[in-house]
Amino acid sequence: MKKGLTLLLAVVLLAGALGGCGQTPAGDAKMRVALILSGPANDQGWNATALEGLKAAEREFDIETAYMENVDIAANEAAYRDYAAQGYDLVIGHGFQFGEPAAKVSGDFPAVCFMATEAASQSDNMASYVMSCEEGAYLMGMLCASMSNTGVIGVVGGFEQPSITKELEAFKLGAREAAPNIQVLEIYINSYIDATLGKEAAMSMVRQNADVLYHVANQAGTGVIAAAQESGILVCGNSYDQNSIAPENIMCSTVYNMPKVITTAVSKAKDGVFEGGVYYLGMADGVVDIADYHGFADKIPQAIQDAVAAKREAIIKGEFKVPLIETPTR
Amino acid sequence: METAIATITTFLAASVRMAAPLTIAGIGEACSERTGVINIGLEAIMLLGAFCGFMVTFWTASSGLGMLAGAGGGMLVALLHGVLSVKCRANQNIVGLALNFLVLGLTSFLFLKAFGQSTVLPTCATVPTRAIPLLSRLPILGKAIFNQNIFVYIMLILVVGVSALFYKTEWGVNMTAVGEHPRAADTAGLNVFRVRYMACALNGLLGGLAGTYVTLAQLGFFMEDVTAGKGYMALVAVILGRRDPLRIMLASLLIGFAEAMQFQLQTMGIPVPSQVFSTIPYVAAVFALLFSIGKSRDPAALGVPYERARR
Repeated sequence: MKKGLTLLLAVVLLAGALGGCGQTPAGDAKMRVALILSGPANDQGWNATALEGLKAAEREFDIETAYMENVDIAANEAAYRDYAAQGYDLVIGHGFQFGEPAAKVSGDFPAVCFMATEAASQSDNMASYVMSCEEGAYLMGMLCASMSNTGVIGVVGGFEQPSITKELEAFKLGAREAAPNIQVLEIYINSYIDATLGKEAAMSMVRQNADVLYHVANQAGTGVIAAAQESGILVCGNSYDQNSIAPENIMCSTVYNMPKVITTAVSKAKDGVFEGGVYYLGMADGVVDIADYHGFADKIPQAIQDAVAAKREAIIKGEFKVPLIETPTR
Repeated sequence: METAIATITTFLAASVRMAAPLTIAGIGEACSERTGVINIGLEAIMLLGAFCGFMVTFWTASSGLGMLAGAGGGMLVALLHGVLSVKCRANQNIVGLALNFLVLGLTSFLFLKAFGQSTVLPTCATVPTRAIPLLSRLPILGKAIFNQNIFVYIMLILVVGVSALFYKTEWGVNMTAVGEHPRAADTAGLNVFRVRYMACALNGLLGGLAGTYVTLAQLGFFMEDVTAGKGYMALVAVILGRRDPLRIMLASLLIGFAEAMQFQLQTMGIPVPSQVFSTIPYVAAVFALLFSIGKSRDPAALGVPYERARR
């Protein structure tokens, strides 16, 4: 009943509002931004980084914010509708699964900006912001292949889905560029949380002579690092600078700057230039990068470091485009 | 030939590593179920064991103390289940289920309180691998079984020890009596409640120990939901193994072998979706269950609370 009333009120208000999506609200009313999360906000990973972005945007742009945690797929549409009806100017859903519901709801609220991260949907006032994670993975592939003595390297993926597959495929391409004869072992463990599974998958690669590993498996990937530590081999981290977990084994990590994705969207909405579409944010936008080599700065041969740095420059300048492959090739 | 033997050896070793926590926890559950208490809160027991084991090892740098703490943590959960199901006569499955959720939340909360929100992962040293003199030099089996960490040896001792307890001692007979016909056992002068509490405690001790295997032997760190369903797989091993220690170990080895197999197959680059491979351990378990239909018989009083004053 209460929800119905709010909805009615919102419709009346919206009918009165003339400005389209992306225009700064009239008068001195603050812009309002809402964030919808699929899990707990303090998961020390995926959702935590999005909330960090919201907080950063709050500091930077003087906006009013709100967020909702643990929203399951069935409730995505309702969550968007709720915030839009409450008069929020920009509503962000964090994750692939938020794309479709956002596009669907956006038609009913033309004055509101809708956004989903890592999604593939769009409409006039709904945009998807995708991180070009494959750019980092390509560089990791080059680094891992160059550092291998056995000619065998391995990569462990979480679920077999586009956002993970694009990294694995780019990793393989990067590895082959650096060492055309390299053998790349790949395993999808179909879990983001089971670290023991990640470890055993990595161990089976070690059994097959792999001497450098990479993972794209969030929490479960920590098991891959544990396996590398136990076997005394090299490994690259993912998502954030993981060096502190195993300083002796982690050469480098790919780093995703999720806060930057959120602040980019907020700034566009604030300036009134938010438009529907699917946008890719990568190294050139400061969203994807690779971490410091830490203790490996003088262990990785300079020639390899130079090759990686040159490729990074080329990607940033747009001279080299890392192919986006979202279905596994075997 | 030599590479084939090397492959089989490493394969077996991987299976044993994955089977150890399932076997240890499964044997504990078998003790409990034989006396009539079914505890599907095995996941909770393992998770609290994993948590307590890690925390104590992290603070004291002693994996021995960590293992004790893990066993203690597991016992706490099992005794809570015991009191609720033996004394309060609650529905054992519901209590077990509730405990699984409770401990998942509790350990995540305490872990967050202890270390706060950060990307720095607290770690501890894992227990080392110790080769057993002479035995470790046996072909194939030596490397796969006798060149492992202490948990694997505990598993082997448990299989022998608990089998002896079940089939060769009066305690084992008492446990069966309490599980099959508690009234008769009571009439014969056995304290049904005490036997059940003891079995619950043993279940917690072993389950907790199995949990510490995950944090202290496999990973060297703790994270939310670190046991990730191993308690449920151990329950499958118990049913597959019909509550017999040796068979539980064989069932666990089958699951461990299927797991090792799926990784091997995936790296061979066969153009089949990875999800198919990930189902292999479960398909193996279901098939094994299919072929054992009709052979399994639960203890008559399994899941039935005993009331002295009723007839």
